[in-house]
Amino acid sequence: MTDDGSGEPKPGQWPLVIVAWILVGVPLLWGVMTTLRKAALLFK
Amino acid sequence: MAGLLSRERIVAKPGFNRWLVPPAALAIHLSIGMAYGFSVFWLPLSRAVGITQPTPCPADMGFFQTLTATTCDWKISTLGWMFTLFFVFLGSSAAVFGAWVERGGPRRAGVVAAFCWGGGFFISALGVHLHQIWLMWLGSGVIGGIGLGLGYISPVSTLIKWFPDRRGMATGMAIMGFGGGAMIGSPLADILMKHYATPTSVGVWETFVTMGAIYFVAMMLGAFGYRVPREGWRPAGWTPPAPQQAVMITAGNVHVNEATRTPQFWLLWWVLCLNVSAGIGVIGMASPMIQEVFGGRLIGLPGAALKELAESQKAQLATIGAAFAALLSVFNIAGRIVWASFSDYIGRKRTYFVFFALGTVLYGLVPFAGRIGSVVLFVTLFCVILTMYGGGFATIPAYLADMFGTKFVGAIHGRLLTAWSAAGILGPVLVNYIREFQLDRGLPPAQVYNVTMYVLASLLVVGFFCNLAVRPVAERHYMPEEPVREPALPGAAPAQASR
Repeated sequence: MTDDGSGEPKPGQWPLVIVAWILVGVPLLWGVMTTLRKAALLFK
Repeated sequence: MAGLLSRERIVAKPGFNRWLVPPAALAIHLSIGMAYGFSVFWLPLSRAVGITQPTPCPADMGFFQTLTATTCDWKISTLGWMFTLFFVFLGSSAAVFGAWVERGGPRRAGVVAAFCWGGGFFISALGVHLHQIWLMWLGSGVIGGIGLGLGYISPVSTLIKWFPDRRGMATGMAIMGFGGGAMIGSPLADILMKHYATPTSVGVWETFVTMGAIYFVAMMLGAFGYRVPREGWRPAGWTPPAPQQAVMITAGNVHVNEATRTPQFWLLWWVLCLNVSAGIGVIGMASPMIQEVFGGRLIGLPGAALKELAESQKAQLATIGAAFAALLSVFNIAGRIVWASFSDYIGRKRTYFVFFALGTVLYGLVPFAGRIGSVVLFVTLFCVILTMYGGGFATIPAYLADMFGTKFVGAIHGRLLTAWSAAGILGPVLVNYIREFQLDRGLPPAQVYNVTMYVLASLLVVGFFCNLAVRPVAERHYMPEEPVREPALPGAAPAQASR
């Protein structure tokens, strides 16, 4: 994704990508797990 | 500040990683998605005055007096109007401000959405504190609803431009966040209300302030994380498909005002409206339906109808009904990312073909599952149906980009969302009307849903033909071609730096 048209991102940005995904992924996973625990009652 | 928010300011620097944009979009969609979870506040708010139990208003008190009364509690039915406000203002603000979002850029839209959604929580907190429901409606319903619309469409066009090779997956990720917002917000609100509750307060206004602050910060981070690609940028190794290879993906761009004059826009409007109407209808009746259709079978008492059960057994069934609704919400968000990503491979039209064809069969099979008493089949049918409901939302932006080009896709998507508002009225009204009609005819509660399912299936049949009629947009609707600026050479200074 560079201006030379190669579209390659700078390697140094990948840690930032991981942090960004963790910031949104962890709350989402927590929400899904909480919901699944509630839904588990259906199978008891 | 105006410059900081402008589209020109957020053009990505060379080497920017496009995978940073979906988390920014998710931060906004996960925040506004709490709109789905607002019902978690209804029970505590229905005893905001009485604290331990609701204090009913005098029977002779008029409707308008109850809106400002500070000595008696709000009814849950009155509080429920918030949902209507949410979805009416979401659809209308997305339609009205869509072109402005395209002009101003995603960061400006995201920041305004953060002020509206977060600020709406603060106004609602004041409304709860002063016990004035009109302030809650104004804060979260109207102002927050406008924030919902702006926040919802803010990343659409940006994501499609960053991921021309995976349009469905990119928008699917963001729209999955809208479905998942309530999964985070509802339990969080529950924890906060318990934390703030005192002998004199149910803890709701304090929860609103806390959540308003959290959402404001999250949405601002998301808005400031947005970047738009340079004109003419494309991913490494990707070349746009040749027109003869992808007849359903346009190479041109249609202006938002021109798009609404094409039959394709209105066919897709009905495609979304009918898919969502059927889905909303099912979501609304899923929990009562499983309880009424299977009754005692759900708690090991086969043959016992719901009305024959004791109160404690009915409470057990209600818990199972809530668990069923929770399970469906997981499939709803899973469908958003799975189907939208799948549409990148099989095409948008074929994806909706599956939604409508398979959906019609599955809706039609639900009464059969009830008749043979198979809870497993019943639950499975609903789970698959809900994936297609979520998938319908998530795939439509990519369908629009394929039909009308990427230049105004955010604004066109905004106008199309009026179909969602219409479906929000059509779906529940249809289901409730049919249910009442059947009950008045003397049908047992367990059977009243059968006709409803067939009617919802017939909506999908109409949607099937609408989708079938979608053809590429005629070239006369395209905007005049603009010369595309070639990517700058290595080492050349970018025209605009990102922040």
